[in-house]
Amino acid sequence: VNVEARISAVWNLVHAARALYERRASYISEIAFTTGLSPEGVDWGFGCLECDPSAEAVETLASSAETASHVHVILSAGVFVASLRALALARAAAPCVTIRPSSRDPWLTRALVEMAGDRAIRVIGDRDISRIDADCVHVYGRRETIAVVQARARPGMRVHPHGPGLGAGIVTASASLELAARALAADIVTFDQRGCLSPRVVLIEGGGLRAEAFGADLHRELDAWEARIPRGRLSSDEMEQARRWTDALCFGGRVWLAARHAIALGSSATTASLPPAGRHVLLVSIASMKQADEALAPLSHYLTAIGSDDPEGVRAVVSRQVRVSALGQMQRPPLDGPVDRRTKNI
Amino acid sequence: MSALAESESLHARTRAMVRAFEQGLSCPESFETLALDIARFQSRHIAGYAGLYAARGIDPRSTTRTIEVPAVPTDAFKLARVFAFGDDQVTALFRTSGTTVGARGTHRFRDVGTYEAASLAFGRSALGLGAPAVTLVIGPPPEEAFDSSLTHMWSTFVRGFGLFDDSDPYFVRNGAIDLRRLKSRIRSLTGRVSALVLGTSFAFVHLLDELGGVALPLPRGSRVVHTGGFKGRSREISPSKLRRALAQAFGVDEPQIVREYGMTELSSQFWESDGPRDGVYVEPPWARVVPVDPQSLLPVSDGDVGIARIEDLANVDSAFAVVAPDMVRRAGRGFELLGRARGAAARGCSIAIDEILASDRP
Repeated sequence: VNVEARISAVWNLVHAARALYERRASYISEIAFTTGLSPEGVDWGFGCLECDPSAEAVETLASSAETASHVHVILSAGVFVASLRALALARAAAPCVTIRPSSRDPWLTRALVEMAGDRAIRVIGDRDISRIDADCVHVYGRRETIAVVQARARPGMRVHPHGPGLGAGIVTASASLELAARALAADIVTFDQRGCLSPRVVLIEGGGLRAEAFGADLHRELDAWEARIPRGRLSSDEMEQARRWTDALCFGGRVWLAARHAIALGSSATTASLPPAGRHVLLVSIASMKQADEALAPLSHYLTAIGSDDPEGVRAVVSRQVRVSALGQMQRPPLDGPVDRRTKNI
Repeated sequence: MSALAESESLHARTRAMVRAFEQGLSCPESFETLALDIARFQSRHIAGYAGLYAARGIDPRSTTRTIEVPAVPTDAFKLARVFAFGDDQVTALFRTSGTTVGARGTHRFRDVGTYEAASLAFGRSALGLGAPAVTLVIGPPPEEAFDSSLTHMWSTFVRGFGLFDDSDPYFVRNGAIDLRRLKSRIRSLTGRVSALVLGTSFAFVHLLDELGGVALPLPRGSRVVHTGGFKGRSREISPSKLRRALAQAFGVDEPQIVREYGMTELSSQFWESDGPRDGVYVEPPWARVVPVDPQSLLPVSDGDVGIARIEDLANVDSAFAVVAPDMVRRAGRGFELLGRARGAAARGCSIAIDEILASDRP
């Protein structure tokens, strides 16, 4: 497959996404029902569909794809716009693509494939990977899903896993707290934090009082967002986890609690203090940026993205595998390859 | 009254309850009265309670029922200091096995005597131990696991239930079972004394694997205690299969295999009731397990499944009420333990906390 053809196939998908975006109103209620997002949340999430990528980004995506003759894609639910990037990566890699959307979140994938009209792409429902005649599988989801796929893959089938992750925010000492809180709130609200780019931990440089002030600002901003884009429904398990986290942090730190979000100021970012998805955020105060790496170390293995008011400064000190962006832009990475750069070749 | 004097007085009251139980007397005071006094003491002297009470909109001075006292999630022991005193008052400190990233829960004690008295009194009763027994621990000695509450409990049992004996009662060193010494020790036992064999479920699975079907019969009247889950440290066996296998390996009847339920964040333990040993755990008079709704944290209807709210009067200087992600149901004289509450399944590619914790466990 030559690079031109790959690029052309990706653009075809982008054009389909653009058309889909224009007609998004007709999909909102179904997507809201299956994802649990509020209808307003779905509409807002559509804004993260990469309808207008740069030519450079698409070329990067297409040229970096590892070629195959048939790629099969297995998608997870929740971040409903993820199917565009997943399809683009697969189509750039192979002249034949099959995709199995999540049964909880099939709408956008089906619509996108239909609208693209690319005969090389088919949606299939078969869940048994051993029956798929593909030489490469791109699987997105929980570790256990990935493990099942790896175990069931036929001999010779390459499996490219895309595991779960999380995002973090870094607010430097020179940032305007009010502006940083406003921008970060947009990243938190998007997909109700169910994306691997969603920030769940935020480091605030400049000491405890500054972190407290940021907490109050973020609390106000999330309240305002709730009025515009209400949080969707959480499952009973998610509610339970949120309750457990909130109570533990109430005991161990300062908490700003609202009906549909919670912010806690904790002493460190550990796996025990990590909040669940659903608009829950842990703030950690750091004296200086020198502590940022150390503060995020317990979570580094899971970190896919960092948003900051000083992306250039942060980029200089964090792993190149982590996507770094401005606050407010964490959920809108360029269409230049996989969202998650922790794993090679996908 | 100073915090220290108040704590001393509360410890004395809990110990009086333990003594009354040992002597077969009725409790000197009600559970509720002592519980509320302990809870008020803790709310005044442990900073974290202020946030917890405030989040519930409760004034600690106005609580009239124990269920109104907010339970401290076990995770709080990882994030905060759940202790009424400064470091100069810590006489014992236990840590959860936890994760590899520094998020281990810590339970500090000012007076570990109440813990020990409560453990011995209820353990002796639950195990039906009349006379001292040769106590054998399929676990490490305290010097190898100095911050393990389980090892502390076992060493308390060695001192409290054991015969005076010069031989080393611990049969795990540097993570390996000393099978040769264990075999030799058990074979040296005469029929005149019974034995008490203590271990975690996964240690017993390793032992069974190493024995490879060879029996190590214990003297009559012996007991085998196993506790805890597997945590990925051995192959998993259902409790009934493990009971059967242990009974066979040690040549005892199945009712002599007893399960115990406890946790680092508590001072009291719960034991499988005597008789059929059917997975129903009983509580001592100074502790209660209340199944609560995971979201409201209010008690569920009798017979319904909830997560465990555990009220422990021996937790004088830390948290009278603790909530753990273990699913429980009231049954008969006690409660059934139905496993860990499942974590929230991740929707989307955002990682679930349980997924991180699972991968962190050694």
